[in-house]
Amino acid sequence: MIQDEVESQLSAMFDGELPVTECELLSRRIDRDEILRARWSRYALIGAAMRSEPVATARSGFARRVSIALRGGETSVRAGRGRRMIFNAAMSASLVAAVAGISISMLRYAANGSGAAGAAHSQLADNDAAPVGHVIPAAVVGAAPAEPVTADAATATATATAAVRHGGASEPVSYVTPASAGNVNTALRTELADFIVAHSEYSTPLMRRNLLSALVTNEDGADSPVPGAAAGAVHATIAASASSR
Amino acid sequence: MVADASDLSLVRRVQRGERGAYDLLVLKYQHKVVKLVMRYLRNPADAEDVAQEAFVKAYRALPQFRGDSAFYTWLYRIAINTAKNALAARERNPVSYEFDLSGNDESSDMVSRLKDPETPEGLALTEEIRDTVNHAISELPEDLRTAIVLRELEGMSYEEIAASMDCPVGTVRSRIFRAREAIDRRLREVFDGGLGRTEELV
Repeated sequence: MIQDEVESQLSAMFDGELPVTECELLSRRIDRDEILRARWSRYALIGAAMRSEPVATARSGFARRVSIALRGGETSVRAGRGRRMIFNAAMSASLVAAVAGISISMLRYAANGSGAAGAAHSQLADNDAAPVGHVIPAAVVGAAPAEPVTADAATATATATAAVRHGGASEPVSYVTPASAGNVNTALRTELADFIVAHSEYSTPLMRRNLLSALVTNEDGADSPVPGAAAGAVHATIAASASSR
Repeated sequence: MVADASDLSLVRRVQRGERGAYDLLVLKYQHKVVKLVMRYLRNPADAEDVAQEAFVKAYRALPQFRGDSAFYTWLYRIAINTAKNALAARERNPVSYEFDLSGNDESSDMVSRLKDPETPEGLALTEEIRDTVNHAISELPEDLRTAIVLRELEGMSYEEIAASMDCPVGTVRSRIFRAREAIDRRLREVFDGGLGRTEELV
């Protein structure tokens, strides 16, 4: 008896004559009930046969193919989204690793090659766990303003740092600023690292702008007696932007 | 045209992310859409492919469907546009299209034969279904036959049929249901009887 009522409702629903609330409940029931679903399909077939519509469609599994096509589309969209996220994460991770690796090797190489090699090296070894971006302490950059560092300020800071380092004394004021004087390879490596960071879509706009400014400044002063100055400026900029964020 | 509450209910379910509800809409309208597309593409197998594409497009566009018109009216427009585009593509590139159709690939030929109602198998099945349905209708009592004919062929609402037959709407609903049940029983007898193919019709 109940089944009869359900089937009567199904027929009315097929004709669009069942109240919306009942449609909602019945359509959920059809989702779970293969017999009702088959009946729904045959009601469509009966109407199609009466109207001389192409009834062989039912046998070719048309509805099943549409369902598979829809499922495939959803899967490919989801897979595409997942692949993009994985790619972006991998790109970010590899970029960070590359920049960190280049920076560390550059710092170590510079420390070994400078006049104050031993002292700087030991200082670096002591501070191994410290972030690379914080190589210039506030005391050394004393003249630099507290507000966010602009390109000009970074250049000024670098000059100041160079002046402190080459002030004439054999003992440098700061051991943590890498001494790269006279080493062309180090300068090139620094530029390469800066170039990667400056052109990376994952860098912040501020960092990109500052690094590009530093690179331009470095090109302008290519015959500077202090090749490491621009590199120092770059590090100062990185440190400043990292601390300002 | 009847304002179809059940279609709207199914559409709302699909819009809430319940894709299963869309299957019911496909089952309900597949024959109509294929017939519609066949006005543009004579080949039934091509018409099925284009109809399938139309259903997929409609599904993807469904989040934008607001229900201002009936679902079938909206689907009808999508199917017509898809058929016209397919026809234009066919005219632009007749060589590759013909090549695809007449490819010697055995598997594609088999799929095409199964899908094509104009193959001997397809024609026989079509004839069998039509004969069964028509025979079952001819055996119905007069009041049931009138009700189902007014509904399926004339597209009248229950209210219109009730007015026409001078009976309550509830009686119309019951008559149409009983008519369908009688026809469906005959269909199942024929197909389950010796051929066991009822499930293939779903």
